Amino acid sequence: MTYFDHSATTPLDAKVSALMREVAENHFGNPSSIHKYGQKACAIIEKSRRQIADALGVKSRNIIFTGGGSEANNMVLQNLLYNDKKHVITSAIEHPAILKVLKHLKRFGVSYTTVPVNKFGLVDPANIESAIRDDTALISIMYANNEVGTIQPIAKIAKIANKNNTLFHSDAVQAPGKIPLNINKMEIDLMSFSAHKFYGPKGVGFLYIRDGIRLHPMIIGGGQEKKLRAGTENTSGIAGLGLAMEMAVQNLNDAQNHLKTLENHFKNRFANIYPKAIYNGHPELHLPGLINVTIPSVTSDLLLVNLDMKGIAVSSGSACSSGTVKPSDVLRAMHISNQNNISSLRISFGKGNTIEEIDMLINALDEILKKYNRKK
Amino acid sequence: MMAKQVVVGMSGGVDSSVAAYLLKEQGYEVQCIFMKNWEDEDDEFYCSSEEDYNDALQVCDLLNLPLHSVNFSKEYRENVFKYFLAEYKSGRTPNPDVLCNKEIKFKFFMDYALKLGAEVIATGHYARINNSTDGFQLLKGIDKNKDQSYFLYLLGQKVLSKTLFPIGEMTKSEVRKIADEINLPNSGKKDSTGICFIGERDFKAFLQQYLPAKPGNIITTDGKSVGQHDGLMYYTLGQRKGIGVGGGHGTTEEPWYVVKKDLDKNNLMIGQGHNHPDLYSKNIKAGQLHWITSAPSIPFDCTAKIRYRQKDQACIINNIENGIANINFIEKQFAPTPGQSVVFFNSEQCLGGGIIETI
Repeated sequence: MTYFDHSATTPLDAKVSALMREVAENHFGNPSSIHKYGQKACAIIEKSRRQIADALGVKSRNIIFTGGGSEANNMVLQNLLYNDKKHVITSAIEHPAILKVLKHLKRFGVSYTTVPVNKFGLVDPANIESAIRDDTALISIMYANNEVGTIQPIAKIAKIANKNNTLFHSDAVQAPGKIPLNINKMEIDLMSFSAHKFYGPKGVGFLYIRDGIRLHPMIIGGGQEKKLRAGTENTSGIAGLGLAMEMAVQNLNDAQNHLKTLENHFKNRFANIYPKAIYNGHPELHLPGLINVTIPSVTSDLLLVNLDMKGIAVSSGSACSSGTVKPSDVLRAMHISNQNNISSLRISFGKGNTIEEIDMLINALDEILKKYNRKK
Repeated sequence: MMAKQVVVGMSGGVDSSVAAYLLKEQGYEVQCIFMKNWEDEDDEFYCSSEEDYNDALQVCDLLNLPLHSVNFSKEYRENVFKYFLAEYKSGRTPNPDVLCNKEIKFKFFMDYALKLGAEVIATGHYARINNSTDGFQLLKGIDKNKDQSYFLYLLGQKVLSKTLFPIGEMTKSEVRKIADEINLPNSGKKDSTGICFIGERDFKAFLQQYLPAKPGNIITTDGKSVGQHDGLMYYTLGQRKGIGVGGGHGTTEEPWYVVKKDLDKNNLMIGQGHNHPDLYSKNIKAGQLHWITSAPSIPFDCTAKIRYRQKDQACIINNIENGIANINFIEKQFAPTPGQSVVFFNSEQCLGGGIIETI
């Protein structure tokens, strides 16, 4: 099997896996217990929090563990219910864990403005500024898009938010291990992360909360995570998350170079067999190793199935719950025609991929394209 | 030699799962496709096909078969659902599953499978195909209780030449036995009932979303008005339950049955007792005729079913004029229903059929 769908999820790093297993088997105590078992588990969680804080250049107290990126996003947005001001500015290409939550919260008095993106999937900060109203409480713009990889100018947007007395949140789940995080160099108030996007385990993530911001918990109970997220902690998952984050930041340069090399190799070789390819997303400001390509002659469902039959995993648009392919809302927001929309693939490389695997992918695509073009 | 490639339509049920297993055992190169044919307009919180897909996924994981999925909900709406609504609107009772087989499973799905490189497709239907000198014949499934040839009478020669029904030679209990033996995770799953896309939900509420209900009067066969109906489309000829008129309204305590829908006056006509003469008819007319091998020479002696699971009824097709067949049954038939299919048989062989127009 050859896996090129790292934006969906990544395999667990071997060191992370070993650590998680060690923790799960030996340190099962409840972190809230006062005996040694509990203390050990608690220490493991706090070590992870410190690893993350150090990697991001922030303080341990700014990190709240959650059950993943969607939960972190939900927690931020559901806090609007406690606010007098209930207006949010977001973009048209956010993850459903932002857009669907906002849609859901409408019935509780939350209103929101979705600013458009240009053909590269880029948000214009000027549009955000002009959408600010008296009752705007929050601006939420993702750091990098999961489908086309476009990196948003969040430093500028954060500045605008701060100037206008509005909180700024960014869904950054696609960023670690691919672009610098630099939270402390920007005026970020809240940022969501998910471990499984950077070789950590699934079902665990965290929310960065800047000093001075007070949130209400979404999950209430035993008072864990400074009363912000109840429930006995996922000790092994949190341990894995800490190590994965540390490695993602430490190895950033090497990872970027590796991903860029793979991406360039793909684009060069694919140009030879299929010159009509159209690359979606911003030509420079995009995540290394994430390719969104339109192949106008074949629809993406056929490409996906044929690649899957050859043991090659890529994706297209957003996968629906029952596994069917629908036109992508993100590509639609970028004004890409419906015809091109349903002929687009997302190929996302990871640290384990090799040049030889890219060659295999090229050969497979060549074979499939010949098969369908011959039939025409 | 390369193994023959087959694509199995996988529903997540026991029948299609066992079909896929049998083909794999027979040495075919099997791929499975899950079809999604219906999407609710607002399915943000619940997607009814999700459970079925998860079952299909677990089966394919166990059998180590590749699974793909495909969405034909647009095609279904266009080619099946529109007709379904139009029929209800005109007071008839359509059978969308017959049309779904013709228009979706054995057209869009088949085309897709062939495009993927399959030579044949297979489904978990209880029916058989016989390659005879007359062409490809559709035969009843061995299990007379489960036989599904009734739903397949609209298939044509080209389709039958590229189709396999691996469980057509088996009984349901044999299929279940295999499912148990190979530990299929869905072996205890109940057979699906009802119209595929509506599933287990409230039919009345479902239809109401699409067609405005026009309440009217309920009139007995002797002209008495005995109550209100919610809209003619909710009733079927021969229906007993859910009319809302008790036995006390008549001369006896017998239950009431729908005998006619008067569309012009928007009246629901009811008659008392299962033996009420208005419930029965010996002659029916059927249109939209389709013959699987060739059209019969008239007059034609055969048997027919006017509903699924009915015993074969002896009949004569007296003539066919302007595409409408005149069918004479030997025994009187209970509530032949316009919009439903009449399907013709010669013993084991399904010959074809049509849509009941008038009675």
